Amino acid sequence: MARKPIWIDTDSGIDDAIALLVAFQLESIDIKGISSVSGNVELSKTFKNNRNIAYLAGNEHIKVYAGADRPLNNDQNLAANIHGENGLGDVEIKNSPVEIETEKAWDKLYEVAKASKGELEIVAVGPLTNIATAIAKYPDIEAYIKRILIMGGAIEGGNKTPAAEFNIYADPHAAEIVFKSNIPKVMFGLDVTLKSVLKVKELKKLREKESSVSKFFFEATDRIMKIYNTLGFVDSICLHDVCPVLYLEYPEIFSGECAGVYVETEGEITMGKTVCDLRSDFKFDKRDTLVMLDVDSTKFLKTIERLLLKY
Amino acid sequence: MKKIPVILDGDPGHDDAIAWVMAAALDVLDIKALTTVAGNQTLDKTTLNAQKLASLVGLDVPIAKGREVPLLGNLVTAPNFHGESGLDGPPLPKPKREIESVSATELMANILENSNEPIAIIATGPTTNVASLLLSHPELKEKIRCISFMGGGLRGGNWSSAAEFNVIVDPEALDIVLKSGIPIYMSGLDVTEKALCYPQEIEKIRAIGNPVSDVVAGWLDFFMKHLTSLGWKGATLHDPCAVLAIAKPELFEFKELYVEVELKGRYTRGATIPDYYGLNNKAPNVKAAVNIDREAFIDLLITTCKFYSEKEVKV
Repeated sequence: MARKPIWIDTDSGIDDAIALLVAFQLESIDIKGISSVSGNVELSKTFKNNRNIAYLAGNEHIKVYAGADRPLNNDQNLAANIHGENGLGDVEIKNSPVEIETEKAWDKLYEVAKASKGELEIVAVGPLTNIATAIAKYPDIEAYIKRILIMGGAIEGGNKTPAAEFNIYADPHAAEIVFKSNIPKVMFGLDVTLKSVLKVKELKKLREKESSVSKFFFEATDRIMKIYNTLGFVDSICLHDVCPVLYLEYPEIFSGECAGVYVETEGEITMGKTVCDLRSDFKFDKRDTLVMLDVDSTKFLKTIERLLLKY
Repeated sequence: MKKIPVILDGDPGHDDAIAWVMAAALDVLDIKALTTVAGNQTLDKTTLNAQKLASLVGLDVPIAKGREVPLLGNLVTAPNFHGESGLDGPPLPKPKREIESVSATELMANILENSNEPIAIIATGPTTNVASLLLSHPELKEKIRCISFMGGGLRGGNWSSAAEFNVIVDPEALDIVLKSGIPIYMSGLDVTEKALCYPQEIEKIRAIGNPVSDVVAGWLDFFMKHLTSLGWKGATLHDPCAVLAIAKPELFEFKELYVEVELKGRYTRGATIPDYYGLNNKAPNVKAAVNIDREAFIDLLITTCKFYSEKEVKV
């Protein structure tokens, strides 16, 4: 069977990096390109990290592009406190020797989308600035994209503010452009990603493997585990960004419901809140987001370990 | 038993009406006054309903009219749920008690001033009157034992995706209430949508066969019509939760949280936002009811309706 064409947009980021490592091992997808966006850390770093992770995984043939270095309208909000100064938990990995791509992320995305004849799926696990920019520059791109899988938002609560999740809060205007678009959406918000818990101790085989990937995995996750421990997660971490990637090949691990979702861009305390009509009597006219709500966490852990053991 | 003196402020409304029927039958509550607010219907209608309700349950306490419009926003009403009168369904007895010449805020203030013990306010409509009281009589805060309101939702809304009806009608008012420093009980959709009365339970109420239970069953029939069209399997008895959070707290599970109201927002005006992870570093300002012993609640509803058969010993 032909592999599904996929575009990954990311702001690596520790869980972003692991999402890429998992994506490279999926057999049903053909990664057409990786675009980098400012988010967890600055664009210069996410671009470098994406290139270096591809190289670490032996997938340097997959091209990495640079996108937006700032949100559409808001001031920049980074998360170096979680992901370290370099974005990868301050773990150093080898620099990719591959020549730097100078084409802009949104231009290449549009070209690939058009060439994929409506089959391209986007996995977006950072702020949605690049995707919104592509939609702004190429209004017809909406018709070429089969669906977009987003890590961001929450139908209840937030982690950056009480009402907003980090990726959406970082660029609420871009997110609103994407949610308003006619591209079908699958949303992996905190409702499901906070349940996508990885008990790192249980990954014994991966630890014994001692590949360069497993070494990176444990060094990088060690840092965020300390943060998760303070939040009440015992010896475990949430791998937010891995969720949509895994869904590409293992949709049965996740479950959700269709709803209307928009993003608040004018609120005082709700800036960046993903407003969802799932549990309200009021329904939006446009309800084209599959909102993920639950995960089989055992299968989640086992599948990730199995995929990472392939390195 | 030490009774809790209360003022009932609301916009009856079917679920307000049932809340007041229950309140009037509960021995633990000493109802000092009824005050009305615009919400489910316009102020004239909710006030007339309050008068008729007082006649129905034999409650002879002062009734005063509140504000006709929210503090700042435009009035929104809910005739789809409550009908043109605001309390459509079975016929009600004529008003007996005249409306006070003073406003709801003035009546509340007079009662608080003259009371030698703190009084609880149970607000089952938009909190317009309560906010007016807090603004105009800050010196009386100490006399307010607590405010128990029905409104909002920790996990979202019903009138809009993000906001619940009572709060979206007057978000500025609730903001004033939440920032008052007075102990607050919040009965949001998280709990009130669990306070369901199913059709077979409506039949149990009808079977009691006194003038009040007949009317309550009739209200529930009417209320169920619109709710059924929205997919509800039972009547969502929102407002009784605000009464019972004070009168029968053992029926509930509460969470202490810091909650704020969004006053702006394209989609979120009126949303009540809880700070689950302490990201704001603020001390909790509400005890939010998040769960209810539904069966015990329905038992209590039935028992309070039975009280009106004999009207001898309160529940």
